[in-house]
This record gives sequence, structure tokens and C-alpha cells, in this order.
Amino acid sequence: MTWSLVGWILIGLSAVLLLIFHFLLKERKAYHVRRFPAVQRLKTSRVSALERGMKRGVFIGHRLWSRSYPGLGLGAVSALPAFMDAESASDSGQRVFTSEGSLLMLARQIALGEYQGGFSKTLNDVLSGLSLPGVSPLSFTAGMASELRSQPYGSLALFGNYGTEALLWTEALADQGEFVFAGAGSLSSQSVLFLSVRDLLMGEEVFTLPGLIEARAANEAGWLTEDILRLLLILMILVGAVLKMAGAL
Amino acid sequence: MKKIVWIVIAVVTGLIVLAGYFFQAQLGPVLSMILDWGILLAGAAGLIGVAYLFRMHLLKIIQNKKGAFYSGVVLAAFLFALIAGFILTPQNSFYRHLILNVQIPVEASLLAILAVMLLYAGLRLIQTRGWTPMSGAFLVSAILSLIIDLGFVQTRSGTLGAELIALLDRLPIAGARGILLGMALGGMVVGLRVLLTVDRPYGE
Repeated sequence: MTWSLVGWILIGLSAVLLLIFHFLLKERKAYHVRRFPAVQRLKTSRVSALERGMKRGVFIGHRLWSRSYPGLGLGAVSALPAFMDAESASDSGQRVFTSEGSLLMLARQIALGEYQGGFSKTLNDVLSGLSLPGVSPLSFTAGMASELRSQPYGSLALFGNYGTEALLWTEALADQGEFVFAGAGSLSSQSVLFLSVRDLLMGEEVFTLPGLIEARAANEAGWLTEDILRLLLILMILVGAVLKMAGAL
Repeated sequence: MKKIVWIVIAVVTGLIVLAGYFFQAQLGPVLSMILDWGILLAGAAGLIGVAYLFRMHLLKIIQNKKGAFYSGVVLAAFLFALIAGFILTPQNSFYRHLILNVQIPVEASLLAILAVMLLYAGLRLIQTRGWTPMSGAFLVSAILSLIIDLGFVQTRSGTLGAELIALLDRLPIAGARGILLGMALGGMVVGLRVLLTVDRPYGE
């Protein structure tokens, strides 16, 4: 058995499980096993910011794709529609930040897709809510710090692929007593944000975010598939360790 | 209807790229062509991003918003770097020195601020998170790593102490591997969700 074949089996199994669970859960949503109080606080903070007339920031990362974290950028793009609700469009108070052109284009596409059915473009230009303060992580940091100072932000949610520089923005907002939520996927962002952000999702938890904000069959099918794969992986690691100790590997 | 066409194109392209990793001999030329297109599109998106940034600062100046002066500085620096780059080319050593001697000190100063903030946030860890098993474990492992990496603890090889230090050195690698495995699983499932159109972030 080659590694290529193992890869095919893993991907094929995941695809089959995903489709089966999607169709099963579409009929009857039944996989509500995850509860993160941090996500509930994020929802509350966004409503509170809206009521106080303050802005809500959503940062979707610096890169759509990277070799170390290939799924993080796509995970951020996948989570973005959950933030594009009717309330966000009603007061033009939501801003989506990124430092990469391709992420900006995808965010624009999502904004257009989400709002085209219900809102007149002349009444509310949702595209003005997209922002690219800089094109590299550090130039973005400079632009973002200035943005957070010049506008009253009541809530900031970070997810996607970013690094240690996020500490500078989160501290800027936390010092003002406002709410910061982070989904830290990369090791560097996890290590620094653990120090300063109370409401934090770490590692693979970041991929559960869309389903936690907006429960849908697709998200729950993803959770269930991931859980089964995780169990299989644990089992394989344990079997591998036993075989290695026995000298069979 | 128009949307379905784009979805089909995206899904077929994604499936070809996925298959290309496993059937490199058969799909190699197609894969490299698609990747070339991808790089081209990413480059074009990068240009759009720069244009968006330019427009944002220009609007700030025109509307005389707060911070318009800084936007002026950004645009002046951007235009100077762009025009000088076209005239001298990025290979020119004078141009490289000119740009790097501004960029590196500025970025280094931002990193210095980050280091101070990190120390400050580290000191406030318990205030932020309270005494929880996670915060306690974080604190203990940070202090242990600091002590071991500074080389204060010296042991002879082959002793129990040396083994213990080697184990503590390996622990972060094991933890990182665990996190990366979880990330890989999550990434794969997200990718498949989009590829199988179970999840359609671009619209229903």
C-alpha cells in the first residue's frame, strides 16, 4: 500500500461520510454536540455593538492559502457568510478586513451573494464595508491600528491565517474595554492570543465556527465527519505505536 | 443558471487539482497549466488589492477625513516606490537599498513593540484568564521552556536528568504535531465541503 493510496482512501472516505451525513442531517438536525460560550459572547457583543451604534470588525486573515495551514484561509471564507446577516447590512457598521487581494475579492463576492436578494445597492453599499488597510502583515497592522483608533469598534472577530502581529490589534481594542474574539489556527497566533484574548478558539476548533454561529446541515455534517476521522486517526496512531513497540514497524 | 456555470467550473477545477496530486504522470501537464492560471489570477487579485488600498487612501484625502495627512504620506511613498521601481527596476542596488533601509527599520520597530506587548500580555495572563488548569499549564510550560532554553540546567548525558530535559524539549513538538494534525483534518473537511458543494460560501 502506497501513501498515495492511503491519501485517496482518506479523502474518499471523508467525501462519502460528508455526503451521507449532509443528506441525513438535512432531514433532521441532530448533531448539536458543541457548545462554546465564547461564540455566544461574540453574538451578544455584535448585537450590543449594533445597539450602541458602534462598528463591528471581522478580520479574515492574511492569506487564502499557505503550505503550513492550507485550510485556514478557506475556513475563513467559509465562515464569512455567517457574519453577513441582515442587521449587519442595515447600518453599514460592519467592516471586513484582510491584507490579501484574493481574500478581498472572495469577501466581495460573498457580500454581493448574501445581500443581493434583500437590499438595494443605492440604499446601502455593502462593498464599502470591505477594507484592506495594508498588503503585508506588518503594514496591515499599522493600518488596522489606525482604523481601530479612528472609529469606535464594539466587537472584533479574527479568524483565518495570521500570526503574532494580531496581538497589537487585540490589545488596542481590549484596552478600550471592547470585545475581542479570535479563532487562532496557526501555532504562533495561538501562543500570543492565549495571553490576551479570553474568548479564543484554538486549532481545529476554528473550523467549527460557521456552524456555531449559524447551525446548518452542511456544518453539522462536517463536524460529524471530522469527529469520525479524528477517532480513526487516534486509533491508527495507537495501533502504530503498539506495532512499533512490538518491533513490527 | 449563471451561478451554476461558475460552480461547475470551480468544482471541476478543484477535482482536477486534487486528482493531479495522485495521478501526477497523467495529469501533470494539466495540473501545471491550472496552477499557472491560479498564480496569474492571484497576481491579478494582488493588483486589485493594491488598487483598493490606493483608492481607500485617495478617498480619505478627497473627503478630508481624520488621518488624511497620513494617507497623503502613504500615497506619496507608494507612488515614489512605484515610479522609482519602474525607472530603476527592483534589481538596481540603489533602489533596493533605498527601499529596504526604510522598510526594515520600520518593520523592526513594529516587532520591537510586539515584543514589549508580548511581555506585558504575559504578565497579565492570570488577570486575563484567571487561575484555570490551562492558564496554569501555560505558565508552567513557558517558565520551564525559558529555563531550559537559557541553558541554566546542565546535566551529563545518559543520566535521568538529561533524559527528562530531552523529554521536556520534545513535548512542544508533540503538541505542535497534534495541533497540526487537527488542522489538517479540519482543512481537508472544509475543502471537501466546498468541493462537493455541500457548503457554498459564495451564495445559495
